[in-house]
Parts: sequence; structure tokens; C-alpha cells
Amino acid sequence: MGTGLPGGFESGFIHPFSGIDHVLAMVSVGLWGAFLGRPLIYVLPVIFPAMMVAGAIMGMFAVPLPPVEVGIALSVLVLGGCIALSVRAPVWAACVVVAIFAVFHGYAHGKELPSAADPVAYSVGFVLATGLLHVSGICLGLLNDLPRGIVVTRSLGGIIAVMGVWFLYRAIGT
Amino acid sequence: MRGGVVPPALLFLALGLALAFSPRRAWGPSLLALLSAVGAGAFVHVPQTWLEGAFFGCWVSVIATAACVHLRRALKTWAAVALSLNAAVWASVVVSLSGSKLDLLKAVPCVLILLPAAWVVSRYASIPVKVVSSWVIAVAVLAATLQLLPVTPGYLPDHLE
Repeated sequence: MGTGLPGGFESGFIHPFSGIDHVLAMVSVGLWGAFLGRPLIYVLPVIFPAMMVAGAIMGMFAVPLPPVEVGIALSVLVLGGCIALSVRAPVWAACVVVAIFAVFHGYAHGKELPSAADPVAYSVGFVLATGLLHVSGICLGLLNDLPRGIVVTRSLGGIIAVMGVWFLYRAIGT
Repeated sequence: MRGGVVPPALLFLALGLALAFSPRRAWGPSLLALLSAVGAGAFVHVPQTWLEGAFFGCWVSVIATAACVHLRRALKTWAAVALSLNAAVWASVVVSLSGSKLDLLKAVPCVLILLPAAWVVSRYASIPVKVVSSWVIAVAVLAATLQLLPVTPGYLPDHLE
């Protein structure tokens, strides 16, 4: 199988779930989108994979980028903070924030992609897993329609932001 | 490994999503064209030197076909038929170079995503279909880029083999 690691659909699908920082950031994208309503509820989950691909390509070509772990930790902190504080960002600003963070997440995936034994199946796995995490965030956002649901989702955002602070501390410390 | 069932399956998936935005009268001719071209293509022999170009053409076709969901107007019948023929040609070429006829047979049912996708679109909720299409495009862009990398990809033998 050449130089390849045993990387196929399964490895790609598991990869986004392998780090809690990735999982929280992607769920936050969906949750924040649900908070902001139309059009961002669907624009953010479309922008994220598109920019993630841009980041993955940068990773494949080893384009220098600021420390990726710091970028990912910041994404958890900022997105969690936006949900906790119920930030009503304009469409363009929300798109820019999500796009920048997606590049960091994609970079992390892209660096590993060329060594996968079946990179196409690996890509299908990780794009699908990422999309499902966004959808789960959007589903969590449905809580907003319930009485006191917004308190629950904002509290979730607060917990995510606090974890983002921890990830950032760890990323800067290492 | 990069051949097998995945590239034609993604191509037919993209085609199904695109056809969901075409009028129902276009489905029959399109699916007929697809099946006929796939049937004929299964027996075509393609020189192995076309491998890289065939895969690149396949990924570009996936991107172009999936991107059709963003067109402002519904696909005309001739355009739907052209997309089907294009998908059948690239899928057949790729499978002939790096797969088996069984892979082609396994991939064809992916076009049936057309049915749930068209149902969703008819309920004025085209967004989920567009989101899925953006995922398909993302995978195809990654796969096409991988071919341009100046490194030995995981599916090729390295200098030790």
C-alpha cells in the first residue's frame, strides 16, 4: 500500500472526534449559526468546509501558518464566547470569523492527508464528520425555542469558552 | 488506493443532487443517458497513461456537477442529459483504469439520492441539499489537489518498494 498509513473512511471520520477542541469548535459553529438565524444558520456550515479545504491545501503544501493549536484553541474560546454573550454579529463578520478558524482546523487535517492510504475515503470521512458536528450544533440550537432554552444554550457557550481558555493555556504553554 | 468505488460514487452523488434541481421531465432522459453510457463505458479500454488526467477530469466533473445546485434557474433537460453523459464517461474511464466493473455497478445507485433531495427541494428547503453539495465539492477539491502535491502520496509505492 505504498507509504500510506492505514487511513481510509474510518480514520477520516474518527479524526475530528479525536480531539475535544475540534469537536467543541465545530459544534459551536452550528450552535452560533442557530443563534444568528437565517442566512447564517446555513451559510456558516457551507463556509466552514470550503475554508477548511483551503486550510487543508495550505497544510498539504506546508505553507507556514501561526501555531495551529493556538488557532484551534482560540476558535473554541471565541465561538463559545460569542454564544455565551449572544453576540449578534453582522453576516460578513460572522463569515470572516468562522472562515479564519476553519483554515486552522483544515490545516491540521491537511498535513496528515497525503500520507493516508486512501486519501479520498479519508476526506469523505472527515468532511462528513465535520458536517455532522455542525448539524448537531444546529440541533442543540433548537433548544432556543423552548422556555429558558436560551439560558441553557448560552450556558453551554460559557462552558465551551472556559474550555477554550484551558486549551489556549495548554497550547501557549507547550 | 484512490480508485475503486468512491470516485464514481461521489460523481453520481453530485449528479443526483444536481438533478434534484431539474424538472421531473428531465429525469427520465437523464437517467436513461446515464445508464446507457455507463453500460457502454464498462466495456471501453483506456490506456494506463491517461490515469492522472482521468482522475483530474473526474474530480473537476464532481465539482462542476455539484456546483450546479447553486444555479439560479432550474437545469434544462438538455443540460441534465449532458451532465449525466459527462458523469458516465468520467466514471467509466476512472473505473476502467483503477477499479472493476463491479465498482461501477455499486456506484450507480448513488444517483438515487435524487429522490430524497428532490423531495426536500420541493418543500422549499433546498438548503440541506446545498450544504451536502458543498461537502462533496470539498472532498473533490482535496482529491484534485492531492494529485498536484510534490510528495509521494500514501497510495503510491515509495522508493523502498
